Amino acid sequence: MGLNPRRSSEAEAAEQQNASRRRMLGWLTGVGLFGSGILSAFSNFVFIKPRATYGAPQRFTIGKPTSYPEGTRVAIEPRRICIVRDGNRLAAISTTCTHLGCIVGLSDTGFACPCHGSRYDQDGTVTGGPAPKPLAWYKVSLAPNGELEIDKDVEVQPGTYLNV
Amino acid sequence: MTPKKGSLLESARELPSNVWSSIFRNPLPHNDVERSATSFTNFFLHIHPVKVNKNTLRPMYTMGLGLMSFFLFLILVVTGILLMFYYVPSTNQAYDRMLDLRGSVAFGTFLRNMHRWSAHGMVAIVFFHMCRVFFTGAYKKPREFNWLLGVVLLLVTLFLSFTGYLLPWDQLAFWAITVGTAIAGYAPLVGKEIRFLLLGDANVGQEALLRFYVLHVAVLPVIATLLIAVHFWRIRKDGGLSRPATAEVKPDLAITVKAVELDPKRTYGLQGLVRGPMVKVGNVPDNSVYSWPNLLMAELFAFVVTLSIILVLSMLFNAPLEEPVNVMHPPNPAKAPWYFLGLQEMVSYSAFWGGVGIPGLFVLLLVLTPYIDRSPEGVGVWFSKKRLLANTVFLTFVILNIGFIIIGTFFRGPNWSFVTPW
Repeated sequence: MGLNPRRSSEAEAAEQQNASRRRMLGWLTGVGLFGSGILSAFSNFVFIKPRATYGAPQRFTIGKPTSYPEGTRVAIEPRRICIVRDGNRLAAISTTCTHLGCIVGLSDTGFACPCHGSRYDQDGTVTGGPAPKPLAWYKVSLAPNGELEIDKDVEVQPGTYLNV
Repeated sequence: MTPKKGSLLESARELPSNVWSSIFRNPLPHNDVERSATSFTNFFLHIHPVKVNKNTLRPMYTMGLGLMSFFLFLILVVTGILLMFYYVPSTNQAYDRMLDLRGSVAFGTFLRNMHRWSAHGMVAIVFFHMCRVFFTGAYKKPREFNWLLGVVLLLVTLFLSFTGYLLPWDQLAFWAITVGTAIAGYAPLVGKEIRFLLLGDANVGQEALLRFYVLHVAVLPVIATLLIAVHFWRIRKDGGLSRPATAEVKPDLAITVKAVELDPKRTYGLQGLVRGPMVKVGNVPDNSVYSWPNLLMAELFAFVVTLSIILVLSMLFNAPLEEPVNVMHPPNPAKAPWYFLGLQEMVSYSAFWGGVGIPGLFVLLLVLTPYIDRSPEGVGVWFSKKRLLANTVFLTFVILNIGFIIIGTFFRGPNWSFVTPW
């Protein structure tokens, strides 16, 4: 022991190599476990995010233009839209309040929200209350069978009408 | 005739006492040694210290608020599990089941009342418990982390209430959740995603009801139980409840031989590891009393008071149930339960700042409190003069919060316009 300095330094080198291998293995184990944790957390997240929903469809038809005569302003409540007819032009305005998602009611001056008092004019522009933006206007088109088709996934510029 | 030793007859005769002593290793204590042993030998008591400082037992110091929160949680677990036997988380059945609970289930109304009033009570008591801890400076070192756990527990309590009141599927439930999840949607970046994950759909419906049910009866109670356990454990590890420095008596009579530091090459028993090798001689005055019976009596008293209040309330007042959900017509005004009306009032000014910004900042401030206010002074007394600034700031928040709740509750009418209640 210690008599042969060469052997001693060899043993030291081997010991050092062992230590660095242990450190490396420990590090790999740590990364492996941590990575698996992250992966399983992510897959749980993917799992609870539904791919298909069971609610009402976003695109639907609402009948022929003739059922909405000149001057119509009628809310189709289950669909959360209001159909407006101005002359020969038709549009669909959302009745979901842009504030917190309550259903706005038709009022004399436009729309009013019962939850937090937001008010809108006839075109859905905010005139009072906490609503941060105007009511959405949705794309209206004529389906091949002559019925009006609303697509709530496509918002259009307020003031965009469909000529019928 | 005395039965022969070891005979069947003797075993039979001694059966009751043998069974009893096999369950309870410690007799009902008659002396200090046996009193000390109660905490060690009983599973349900082993979270208690052997002795407890007299200051901890002063009713006017803690007002028993933490214990009351815990007992309300226990009542909620028991009544909640019972209610689960009759509840179905389906949009077609949930409301009918509420009516059945009222009309055809024995004690149905009573259990639902207990669950509802305990839930309201827990929100209030947890809040007051936080106020007590703040005004006595109890969050200071070494109790910073337990304060943090407490803040998380307050949020879990609120979220438990929030998920709970969708379940009756009445008008209040539906519109409160519509508003509440829309508020979540205002959070920056992840808001829309969180809303979608919570609801499981674009709107509040069957998926949302199922998700809130699972959160309410499984996920959140498990989280709460775990956090409560750590919260309690930390009380012991942080040296018991906070108390003024004057409540400590230096045990100068004790002969204590404490190692300067632990020898890393020696093996220590648990006590040696915690306190260092130490010899304590005699019964030294240290301003503490035995947990059995002092602390246990105080706990029993808090439990009886809590349960009695809930029982009386449940006999006097029925839990409200509004009309069944009508997704076309929100009630006007659509109001959340009282503890969210402060939030709703702020939301009426600005959805982002009222619903996300200010509450978020407030929670952040609460979390950081023990790490900002680090002066060790004024711990263990109510409204210490040395903590005038901190207490004033906190009191302002409390008054503002309560003020907003009062405005939202009594001064808001149809379309959330200002009305006077008289």
